[in-house]
Formats: sequence, C-alpha cells, structure tokens
Amino acid sequence: MSSHREAPAISQDPVADNADTYAFVSPDDPSTVTIITNYVPLEGPPGGPNFFEFGDDVLYSIYVDNDGDALPEIEYQFRFRTTLQNEDTFLYNTGPIGSLTDPNWNKRQLYSVSVVRSSGRDSDDGHGGAKVLGKNLACPPCNIGPRSTPDYDSLAAAAVHHLPSGETVFAGQRNDGFFVDLGAIFDLGDIREIQNLHLIPTPAGTSVDPLKTLNIHAIAIKVPIALLTRDGSVPSDPAAAKAILGIWGGASRRKVQVRDGYETRGSGPWVQVSRLGNPLFNEVIVPVGEKDRWNSVDPIDDVGFEKYVNQPELAKLLPVLYPGAFPNLAAYSKNRADLHAILLTGIPGGIVPGFQNFTGPKPADMLRLNVAVPPTTSNPNALGVVGGDLAGFPNGRRVFDDVVSIELKAVAGATIPLVDPSYTVDGAVGAVSSYLTPGAGRYQAAFPYLGTPHDGFDTPSS
Amino acid sequence: MERLSRRSFVKIAGAATGAAALAAAPPIARAAVGEQGAQPTDPTARVPEEPVVAYVRDVERGEVTVTAGTAEHTYRDRALVQRLLRAAGRKGVR
Repeated sequence: MSSHREAPAISQDPVADNADTYAFVSPDDPSTVTIITNYVPLEGPPGGPNFFEFGDDVLYSIYVDNDGDALPEIEYQFRFRTTLQNEDTFLYNTGPIGSLTDPNWNKRQLYSVSVVRSSGRDSDDGHGGAKVLGKNLACPPCNIGPRSTPDYDSLAAAAVHHLPSGETVFAGQRNDGFFVDLGAIFDLGDIREIQNLHLIPTPAGTSVDPLKTLNIHAIAIKVPIALLTRDGSVPSDPAAAKAILGIWGGASRRKVQVRDGYETRGSGPWVQVSRLGNPLFNEVIVPVGEKDRWNSVDPIDDVGFEKYVNQPELAKLLPVLYPGAFPNLAAYSKNRADLHAILLTGIPGGIVPGFQNFTGPKPADMLRLNVAVPPTTSNPNALGVVGGDLAGFPNGRRVFDDVVSIELKAVAGATIPLVDPSYTVDGAVGAVSSYLTPGAGRYQAAFPYLGTPHDGFDTPSS
Repeated sequence: MERLSRRSFVKIAGAATGAAALAAAPPIARAAVGEQGAQPTDPTARVPEEPVVAYVRDVERGEVTVTAGTAEHTYRDRALVQRLLRAAGRKGVR
C-alpha cells in the first residue's frame, strides 16, 4: 500500500514500482502545483553498500490531463544516469560527503527532465518530441549516517533544482509519508482496535506503523499552474471545468532487454510496467489476476475495470470479516456510484458544497485536482473532503492525507448517502480507521514536502 | 549457415530492418502488399549502438517483429521466419 508491491510483476521490480502519487496546490506557493511520484518502496535505511537509487533503464513519467479526455496533454519525463568516481573501491563513499560534487561521493545519480506536450496516445509512441528542460541534475546521496552524510539536509536542499522553464524539481531519497498498519491489514483485513469484532477475534490492540522507519525515492516537481491548465490561466472558480487536472504517474521499460554478459541493453518502444493515480486503486480494487494488466494500460482503458469499482470485493468482505457490524453494507446491492465518482469520474458539482472535480463521464483512474481550491494552511484535516477540508483527498492528494482511513470509510459505506440519500451508514463505519498519526519529521513544510530520510546508522535503533 | 556470433546476428537483424525500410509504408500496409523474402546482409551497414532485435511473433502468419531504437514494426515475411526458425534449431548456434 498505497501501491507498494501491489501487483505480481511489479513487486519483482522495485525501481519501477510507482508506490504513491501526490498532487496538490503547494501550500507555501499557491500559484503552483506540486506532483510527487514515489518509487523503490520499503527501503530499509541501512541497505548498503549499494544504497537505493532510481533505475537508469526506466522511463519515469508524470502525466497531466487538462481537458478531461483521460489522455495526457502534458507528460514530464525523468531519466537517470549513474556514475562512478572510483571503480576500485567497494564503498559508496570514501569519506564524508559534504556537497553534491564532493569527490568522496563515489556512486552518484544524475537525471534529465523533459516535457512532452499534447503527447496523447495518438501522437507517435507518446514519448517522442520531448523538450529537455534540464539535464545533468544531481540527486542527493542516500542518508547513510553521521560519518558519511553529516549534514544531510544541506545535501537535499542543494538537490532542489529550479529550471529555466519555471518548474522546480527534486529526485532522491525521502521519508516515506504513507502510513498504514501493513501487518494487520494483510492479516485478513484486521484493524487492531476492533479486532475483538473480527471473524477470528483477538483482544483489541493498538495499530502500528511499519513504514515509519522506511524510506522511499521521490520524484517531485513543482509547476506553475498556468503551465498546466488547458488555456494557460490560473483558475479561481472551483466550479470551472478548466480548474480540474487529471494526474497520474507511470514507469516504463524498453520492450526488449538483451542481457549480454554483465551488461543489459534495451531495444524497442517504452512499455508501461507501473502506474498510479488514486491510492489503493490497483491494490484493493483490482483483483490479483488483473493487476499486471492494469499496470500496463492507461487511464483511458479503465472502462474494463469499472466493474470492480461498482461492486468492490472489499465491501463484500467487511461484513464477513466483522460479522454483524455492517448489516446495511451487506444488504446494499446497487452499483457503488459514490466510489465510481470518487475514483473514476470525479465528484460532480452539487454533491459537496463548494466543490467539484468532475472530468466528465469517461471512467479513468486519475487523481483529480481542482486547482481553484486554495490550500488549507491552518489545521488541515487529514481526512480531506470527507473531513470537510476541500484541499485534501480526493481533491488531489496531499502527503499527509490519511487515504487509508478515507478509502476504508468510503468502501464501508460512508459516502453512499452522497448519491443515495436513502442509505443509512452502519455505525461501525465510525470505527473503521487507520488509527495512525504520523510523527514529527515525516513531512516538511516546503518542497519536496516529504521529510528527511532516515539514516542507516540510526535506523532501526536498538 | 556458419556459426553465428552475437555481432553477426545483430547485422542480420539489422538487415531485416533494411528490408522493412525498402517496403516503406506502415507495417499493416506492408503486410497487405504481399510477402517479401529476407534481404542479404549488407556488411557495410552501420551497427546500431542498441541491439536490433527480430523475433518471430506468429509462425502461422509468418510475422516477424523488429525492434530498433524506440520503434517497433511487425512484418509478414515468411522467408525470414523460416530462416530464423532454421537458425534457432541449428545445433551450435548461440
């Protein structure tokens, strides 16, 4: 979760595994949108000597649909290149790393950023015609420990690059901002606080957050809103269609890989191996036999997955796993128009006062961000729109949004009354939650918003 | 057929791309025009930095897919399919 190792094929390919995608109006720079796509899930901080990095043979993409057709009008591409300063040592660094050009730093990654505009499926292979916005941009090193990376925050700050075209980018290791009780949820849908009500009951407990000591690799880009909207404007009316951006991330590999000795070279077009729009979509909605296919296709192809949203498996499991707790959900047989709107079309106007992120009837899994909704800078609610905070998920997704609680509650029936007022929400829905509150340091107030990665010397601690 | 090295196979695969270039037009149009035998290897052709790969996509239809750079084309070329199959089945080929 939210898409960490969520499908059979991509679980074997961490550097291409798009684990989370975030998109939000930057709280400290509201004329811009920040988009983050995370890769290499579940990084153990001490994992040397070859510390985690992006794939040199992977094309990383961030897609933006600004006219509601479920095709990208804008694609930002990121390509990485690893360099060695000294091939005659086994060390990642041969002394303290004091800067991004420090000769002590042996194994480095540089990257390029390109943009393809109006690159929808109908124009060549969707990856041609790219305009290079920046190249030879430095990633920071991984956070190793007090001897190797004594001032990590300075290294990370130096890896924030301002491009002449107006975008700001960062690519490198960060604290994984996603939180969920992985161990419990995959133990037959357990929620420790209410596990005394589970089909296989044990005394109620307290949720734990196994991701709080793990890192991830983030690709973050902050873009002026005017560079993203269909007409180059900065919309101020949340009801305007042009205020809505559909956003998702994806990773692609060459169609053919030829392994020749210890070298591997690619041939042929880029083939998508991972994508992510809404959190947990492939993880929880799509059945395991379809997950690899879902990763390989584009949002415009999601009509084939609509049935899994209309009749989600998890909504059928909850009444079984928690007998007697969800009688109204168990009896509800209609298609889930609420989930269909949240995940596949956006929420039309008139349902949530002052808010809409509807992109039209075409079903497509994308984050949908209404850029005319200003960021909530004072006491934002991690439950987002469900909690009355219109700047949070499913209006895009902020790094701290509690998407597990939001989506669990929605699947459990909390949002059915938005489209079916005759439905009575089960009382147990109030107890469905992640029960987790991320600690200080998980996030930061400024770009790239995900906090300092844990260093391998101190994490895990004894 | 002589014992092939990887490099000479790349050249043959490159020739397959040359055949495609001769045919011009998109692959589907090419397939509709009719079949064409494999072209002889041009020893002066530049070897691409990336591998050019040809694989038999459908034996019954005589289809070969060629990847080169970020392009991919599928051709109907029964003669080339037969040559590839013969090469694949020959002992000592690697």
